[in-house]
Amino acid sequence: MRTVGMYLAELLEAYGVEVIFGIPGVHTVELYRGLPNTKIRHVTPRHEQGAGFMADGYARVSGRPGVCFIITGPGMTNIATAMAQAYADSVPMLVISAVNALGQIGSGEGWLHELQDQRQLIKQVSAFSHTVMTPAELPRVMARAFALFAGSRPRPVHIELPLDIITAPADKLPPIRAIVPPSPPAASPSALQEAANWLNIAKAPVLLLGGGAQDAGSFVRAIAEKLDAPTVMSVNGRGLLPPRHPLAVPCSPSMPPTMKLIEGADVILAIGTEFGSTDYDWFEQGGAKFNGKTIRIDIDAQQVVRSRQPDLPIVADASEASSALVPLLSSAKRDGAARAAAARDAVLADLSRTYRACLHLMETVRDALPGAVLVGDSAQPVYAGCICYPSAAPRSWFCSATGYGTLGYALPAAIGAQLAAADRPVVCLIGDGGLQFTIAELASAREAGTPVIVLLWNNNGYGEIKTYMVSRQIHPIGVDIFTPDFQVLAKGFGCEAVTLKKPSDLPGLLREAAKRKTATIIEIEENDYVANYEG
Amino acid sequence: MTNQNCGQAAITLLERYGVDTVFGMPGVHTLEFYRGLVASKIRHIAVRHEQGAGFMADGYARASGRPGVCILISGPGLTNAATPIGQAYSDSIPMLILSSVNATEDLGKGRGRLHEITSQQTVIAPLTAFSRTVYKAEDLPAAYADAYRIFEAGRPRPVHVEVPLDVLAGPAPALADRPPSVLPLMPDGSLVEEACALISKARRPVIVAGGGIIDHGPALTALAEQIGAPVIPTIAAKGAMSNRHPLCVDATLSLPQTQAFLRSADLVIAVGTELGGEADCWIDRLPIEGKLIRIDIDAAALTRDYPPDVAIHADGGATLAALAQSVGSSRSQIGAVDVARLRAEIRNSLPSLQRKHMLILEALREALPRDGIVATDMTQLAYSGSYHFPCEQPRCWFHPVGYGTLGYGLPAAIGAQLAQPHRATVAIVGDGGLLFTVQELATAVELGLPVAVVLWNNNALGQIAEGMKERGITEIGVRPRNPDFIKLAEAFGCRTAQPSSIAAFKAALESAFKADRPTLIEMREDAVFLGG
Ligand SMILES: Cc1ncc(C[n+]2csc(CCOP(=O)(O)OP(=O)(O)O)c2C)c(N)n1
Ligand SMILES: Cc1ncc(C[n+]2csc(CCOP(=O)(O)OP(=O)(O)O)c2C)c(N)n1
Ligand SMILES: [Mg+2]
Ligand SMILES: [Mg+2]
Repeated sequence: MRTVGMYLAELLEAYGVEVIFGIPGVHTVELYRGLPNTKIRHVTPRHEQGAGFMADGYARVSGRPGVCFIITGPGMTNIATAMAQAYADSVPMLVISAVNALGQIGSGEGWLHELQDQRQLIKQVSAFSHTVMTPAELPRVMARAFALFAGSRPRPVHIELPLDIITAPADKLPPIRAIVPPSPPAASPSALQEAANWLNIAKAPVLLLGGGAQDAGSFVRAIAEKLDAPTVMSVNGRGLLPPRHPLAVPCSPSMPPTMKLIEGADVILAIGTEFGSTDYDWFEQGGAKFNGKTIRIDIDAQQVVRSRQPDLPIVADASEASSALVPLLSSAKRDGAARAAAARDAVLADLSRTYRACLHLMETVRDALPGAVLVGDSAQPVYAGCICYPSAAPRSWFCSATGYGTLGYALPAAIGAQLAAADRPVVCLIGDGGLQFTIAELASAREAGTPVIVLLWNNNGYGEIKTYMVSRQIHPIGVDIFTPDFQVLAKGFGCEAVTLKKPSDLPGLLREAAKRKTATIIEIEENDYVANYEG
Repeated sequence: MTNQNCGQAAITLLERYGVDTVFGMPGVHTLEFYRGLVASKIRHIAVRHEQGAGFMADGYARASGRPGVCILISGPGLTNAATPIGQAYSDSIPMLILSSVNATEDLGKGRGRLHEITSQQTVIAPLTAFSRTVYKAEDLPAAYADAYRIFEAGRPRPVHVEVPLDVLAGPAPALADRPPSVLPLMPDGSLVEEACALISKARRPVIVAGGGIIDHGPALTALAEQIGAPVIPTIAAKGAMSNRHPLCVDATLSLPQTQAFLRSADLVIAVGTELGGEADCWIDRLPIEGKLIRIDIDAAALTRDYPPDVAIHADGGATLAALAQSVGSSRSQIGAVDVARLRAEIRNSLPSLQRKHMLILEALREALPRDGIVATDMTQLAYSGSYHFPCEQPRCWFHPVGYGTLGYGLPAAIGAQLAQPHRATVAIVGDGGLLFTVQELATAVELGLPVAVVLWNNNALGQIAEGMKERGITEIGVRPRNPDFIKLAEAFGCRTAQPSSIAAFKAALESAFKADRPTLIEMREDAVFLGG
């Protein structure tokens, strides 16, 4: 008999799913029955939080949803943080879970893994959450999930299957078939014409690009060049203009020089960016004033008016809208390169020595390992990277310091990224505090054969928070933590580990690590690096 | 006092409620709580992951009977603790979760603020007795008072109190003293009489005692003796009545022999137990065929699933005492002989893997002082222990029963050791479960805690591998590539041992209890001395 669980595996394969992340449990074993008959690879993390972060890293690099199989209850509460991070950063993810059987759900009878209401929790961190009450719903809800991933703001989707539905017969279900993905929404021609009219007569236009524009690289570049407009990229928009592009401003809009650039714009064109505070107002002082007219393109109708109301809101997919906008624009010189350079240089000039060292570290990685993906956590070098790391390309630099701002993300996300990009070096940038959150995933890296390179920035504590405490005159407490011996730890997990003796050794160590088949930790003492780097 | 802010006041108020330890990890959002902590006598335990904080608070609460307290940042700090909060909810453990949340004006607006979540409260509320947002500083004292009323006199469960950033940094509210403690709910006299009438007619009365009577062992034992009723404790009630008492059955509700024993009862007195479905018994329904008296502090639990003949909505201990006082002579025809027969029947039919477990558990029992504490994870060794490990005292055996999560054992043992610094403390963990929260070894080393971590290594997610095999599913993801656990523990600065005999295991335990830091004791399922 073919069960709904078996049907599900085939259906996912038909949708092109290549990898599933999960820890099997009593409640999900029946999801595994059909898996060996598909080409789908299963990767086992050591904690469901790891499954979620891996799926996130996989999705950010590939552009396709990361898929997880998760048990009822603790599995779902364990993955909640990872889903929230993906939700905040608009990353597509498909979380398929079990739930107690129909008739037991929400009964409070003390069933194993029982929650009062699993979906109530998970709805808060997903685009939608659905309980499959009858087998016939499964192909329909799956179609809805993949339509969402293709045609709207990508975010996690949760589908839960009651235990008795997973094992129910699938004989009445339609043949396995993936839907034709809907084409993403195009912009209204008249709205685009209006935008072009404003932009063509602008004197000092500025482009603001966010993660929503990640796949619109060639079009937004053409727009920038025609308008001669400095182009500010949020963390998730970094790399849309390459590092040495004269119009590129790969600098956080929270920094005063970037704010000044934006404040001097007479027309602002913002594409796929939510104006969230982790990009636009890190210091929580209100952010840049938008003195010019604002045109905002976003795929999410609510988002297009959220936080900052534009003069011209356009609901559309970034690629669709920008490709249609390019031919409507006339080329003109607007002093863009000089305006961009002024902002860029001033941001760099204002950096502390520590942050300059951090940036040097990241640029060393980029230059030593061309094509590398950099996955950041929430640690000193990552904050520096958020401020002004010029990523080589989109989908090549991301971190968890944006949006939900969690810790422990980078190692599992790097593993997921490596699974999506087997032929690219993947470098995880993480602090000693962050690494301890999900250190067990080194075992998963070893098992999955993902040779990620972990750059461990060690300052023996929660450095960021200690700094805040000191600056607020709070005697540091709970931040100077005992730190394990990461060298021995890595080896215990079957991974390589080295310490960086002097900064100039780094390129060599990186290249050696990139040749290995196992993960490598390169441990960097913050004080040493800051004191000795030459940049 | 007057120039305190609300964050500092929140800490002062904790002191008034007698809190001596909090678990957490500071972040930008919680700095103002920490400003208060610096000046207070409360000990702050810095963890490596907020999940660890939650489980430690649980272990602390189970070991002390007092609520475990966590201080967590908005968003990820709180969602990281969701699983421990869920675990505490299902096992009725008192816990106070203090957190920040984004500023009042930002709530629910989807602005993309740091640590923002659509609705933090909606996520956490279903895992708690209640979740309260302190919109105004003046609401803070009432939130604590309501929480402690539940801890003292209701069904204890986690309470979440969140303070928006603007309120947290704003002026402190006026702080009154802690309100007087609330008395437990007393049973209704006529219901007690009805119950006594049933008891006096019963020939085969059996008591099923749950975690709700964990502190009422003497009343339970007295009633059992008086009416000649065997007692079947749930896992959460282990030790309330000494396992060595001739009327005390092991916590084996999930075994067919015990279920048959229960079926033969003509009266079941269920006290402080939800008669949990799968979580305690692994079957859909317990065979309760005679009369049923249910006693619970939670009105909703009184009628759930098994309609009772008499339902007493009151404190378990008070009710047991009232029954003992009013009940007349007993006509019970069962007793110690039947319990002994049941025990023997169970012991004699243990499958071979469980016999291995018993070798270890018996050695552990011998090495561990009577008041020693064992916090266990979801591992096969612990399942055997939950049934058969004898406890003579309450609050000595912790298992994540209802919610059934992995990663509980180690941090819960740390919390327990902090609550009871002079009592030997053991964690029993599997190779899969340990990796869920292994980083908390660093916390234990930092604190110099002599926790003995007994690792049951079968190089498998054993329970699930078995499940797949039974169902004819090809094994996937259940034979993980394990790290070298000894190296791992050493990297964290722990002591280690790999005993090669039962005697060596006992010696390892005994020296672990005297050490100045944790010891990882690796026991391999395929060890020769366990029969290979
Ligand atoms: C889950 C979670 N808990 C706590 C925080 C608060 N927090 C932000 S940065 C930080 C310090 C991280 O330490 P580490 O990774 O060593 O980086 P460092 O700042 O020392 O470079 C902390 C605790 C958070 N962002 N997320
Ligand atoms: C958070 C969570 N994820 C998954 C499960 C499902 N599960 C229950 S027991 C188990 C196996 C645990 O392996 P291990 O700790 O090695 O114990 P063993 O059964 O091998 O003794 C798993 C995966 C769970 N209970 N909780
Ligand atoms: Mg650090
Ligand atoms: Mg195991």
